[in-house]
Amino acid sequence: MKTRIALYGALREADPSGHVELDVPPDSTIAELRELLTAYLHEHAPTISVGLVRRSAFASAEEILHNHRTVPEGVELAVLPPVSGG
Amino acid sequence: MDDLHVAVVERCVATLDVAAALDSVADPRFGGIASFIGRVREHNLGRVVTGISYDLFEPLALRMFRAIGERARAEVGAPLKLYIAHAKGDLAVGDLAVLVAVGTPHRDEAFRACRLAIEAVKHEAPIWKQEHYIDGDSAWSEGCSLCEEQRDAEHAHAKHDETGHGHGH
Repeated sequence: MKTRIALYGALREADPSGHVELDVPPDSTIAELRELLTAYLHEHAPTISVGLVRRSAFASAEEILHNHRTVPEGVELAVLPPVSGG
Repeated sequence: MDDLHVAVVERCVATLDVAAALDSVADPRFGGIASFIGRVREHNLGRVVTGISYDLFEPLALRMFRAIGERARAEVGAPLKLYIAHAKGDLAVGDLAVLVAVGTPHRDEAFRACRLAIEAVKHEAPIWKQEHYIDGDSAWSEGCSLCEEQRDAEHAHAKHDETGHGHGH
């Protein structure tokens, strides 16, 4: 399935459109999605460090989705680098 | 719930309003109001800062602000009204970046809830700061990881060598 992922903070620099779209096998976990995103960025945005993706969290508009969670179907996700509000 | 007022304010539309924040937490039951105001400062880590751009994942940020309010209410164990607003977009030195206000019956609960709320906003809400420097360079702040596995690993590391998690606040 196609999963659209919005980019925030330093990860916006990975794509000027502000999002990427990945082909994700059904029932993949967030940990597997992280590996797919890492591989995608390695190819399409090599200036983004692997460490930054490792330190980032995935989320829907409702909640943070930790590594063991299943990637929800038909939902736009966001990838959140380490936060620095205030 | 009316007791929690949360907002994300586009800098190009408005500035954060301290008087409105204090008004929104006023209540005849409450004798104590505490507030925290975060402003853009002119230097960070030895570099001269000319401005900050804030990026937010707005729907989740607003949900988290409300959840932080509920947590503060549970933590202090007293009735409270709480206001959290954060600016978005391009801010100049001196602009207001974040505003927290809490009204409670007594000062102790107000101070505790205000401290809890601003710390949670800084460490947990999906907000990113890009600093712009006088030499024309820009950089995203290093920040706090929201990935629980990564955060656990960083805490373990920080305990081990007592260097903290290295982002200077």
